[in-house]
Amino acid sequence: MKALIINELRKIATRWRTAIGFGAIGLLMPLVLWGFHKGGTGIERSMSRALEGQFIIVGTLFNGFLETYLVMNLLWVHIPFLVTLVAGDVVAAEGATGTFRIYLIRSISRMKIMTAKFLATWIYTAALILFFAFMSLGLGSLFLGTGDLIVLDSGILILPPEVAWIRFALAFLLAIISMGVVATLTFMFSSMVNNGIGPIIGTMAVLLIGLAISNLPLDWFQTIKPWLFSSYLDLWRYAFYDPIPWDTIGKYVGILILYITGFGGLGFWVFNRRDITT
Amino acid sequence: MLFYSLQKVIFWTDMDRFRPLMFVLFLLPVRVVGYFPNGIEKMAELALQIRHLTKSFKGRRAVDDLSFTVAQGEVFGFLGPNGAGKSTTIRIMVSLLKPDDGDIFIFGQSVAIHRNSVLKDVGALIERPDFYLNLSARQNLNMLAGMEAIPLEQVDEVLRIVSLQDRAGDRVKTFSHGMKQRLGIAQALLGHPKLLVLDEPTNGLDPQGMKEIRDLVRDLSDRGMTIFLSSHLLDEVEKVCTSMAILHQGRLVTTGTVNDVLNQAQQRIVELEVHPIEQAETLLSSRKDCREITRDGHILRLQADPENLPAINRALVEANIDVRAMIPQHSLEDVFLSLIEDEG
Repeated sequence: MKALIINELRKIATRWRTAIGFGAIGLLMPLVLWGFHKGGTGIERSMSRALEGQFIIVGTLFNGFLETYLVMNLLWVHIPFLVTLVAGDVVAAEGATGTFRIYLIRSISRMKIMTAKFLATWIYTAALILFFAFMSLGLGSLFLGTGDLIVLDSGILILPPEVAWIRFALAFLLAIISMGVVATLTFMFSSMVNNGIGPIIGTMAVLLIGLAISNLPLDWFQTIKPWLFSSYLDLWRYAFYDPIPWDTIGKYVGILILYITGFGGLGFWVFNRRDITT
Repeated sequence: MLFYSLQKVIFWTDMDRFRPLMFVLFLLPVRVVGYFPNGIEKMAELALQIRHLTKSFKGRRAVDDLSFTVAQGEVFGFLGPNGAGKSTTIRIMVSLLKPDDGDIFIFGQSVAIHRNSVLKDVGALIERPDFYLNLSARQNLNMLAGMEAIPLEQVDEVLRIVSLQDRAGDRVKTFSHGMKQRLGIAQALLGHPKLLVLDEPTNGLDPQGMKEIRDLVRDLSDRGMTIFLSSHLLDEVEKVCTSMAILHQGRLVTTGTVNDVLNQAQQRIVELEVHPIEQAETLLSSRKDCREITRDGHILRLQADPENLPAINRALVEANIDVRAMIPQHSLEDVFLSLIEDEG
């Protein structure tokens, strides 16, 4: 299995699409940092206005933590797209390029090959999120410094630096799980077709419809909202609540795991029964 | 029927770990009571046995109740025009496709039931060889070897066999079609298979490349390997194969040694050198025992049953037509066409 996973990772690593994901983050984050450094005073002023009635603010609110907290909102739509770029190709590209004909005729079961592909997809997803964490939190704290993290959400929460690090670790872990659902959905589509574009479009369509349903204040939509995985793409936010709502996080992670099992299981099931005609 | 129904259930289970259990519970008792016509020992003498194989795509029969066998050590030609069902059969053989009915046994083991252990003995090149183009030839082979824990020394060995050792480090995208074809054979040879399945291995190659592949096939055959060679090039089968089967529209037309099949239709297609040719053509066209008469310069070609040839000759002579030659045809192409016409 180790050799199979290494094979899959090697294939992912040699594709241009993989470079696009990491390249996009690698380009975007320095730009964001530069933007915060040069033009973040507006945001800081508006935050200070919200706080100065109740707090005496010494120094700057602006630091690598706040910058990371703000850019984590990219996880809603942009990062899923980068995830689908690669996950869409993991199975489907082999059909498109005809390499199934040298790969699936070996004395290894399709189940094992799919497991390796599935794990490699997750490793890529986790690596992308961790790279995002390094570029935002790592570089951010290096260039903008660290300090208290001010979280303005349902209230005001001030987290000291030593707690902020732990909260970000939890937030990125939750982000990996929610992006893993996106990766698994794309993987499922990828196991059904022979082109890498279909799974990307399919996943993004499901995602956008899900997000629309989750955010539209219609009664029926609100009824089904708790059952949509797209409602939990911002699961990472719960890492910045005080106290951390472990019950809620556990419940939502459970729902996401159900989705992962369902999407992954369907992908495996379809692929095991598929005729390879390309 | 019971056997195939049970087999289908097990096939669709597709869980390798449960297959042995299901085999013991269902299939073994069926075989033991003699439901299965051939003993396992007898089947093991065969490299390949295809039994009542049927496969349809969207209602169109690609393979229709196909049955034949290949003995160990043979170079077996699998002949048919494009779309005859050759590739479909081969894809079922290596479990890329699942049959609607029937099964394939390789060295006595069912592909449907023992997929993984069967494929250990099989190397295959299916249609055109597609590789990971961004990887080198060696990286591609290392990857495939790593999957099955095949020692990496074998990679060098198979690269040497196909004479690609000097280009092993180059990316596959820089390879010519012939080199890719040879690399395709190299990947098929990984793991020292006992049965090598080559699907149209000379497709798209120049005459030199075709000769190289043929020489390679002969060389591998000399090493004791059973080779199953699919082709629509009749000449190729004639040159390298010992036995053959002809497939047309998914059905078996004939099977046997190349010589037998050749003789079978040699006697049916005849070339006549006659004078005057117009008069001969008119005469033969009126006879019911002459079919498919065509004229090519001074030569008349026709199909006739062997026992009718003396009567045809007599009729020509009695009509004052000079018969200078009456030559049974040796081309496998003629065999192929005449057999297919019979089938049609």
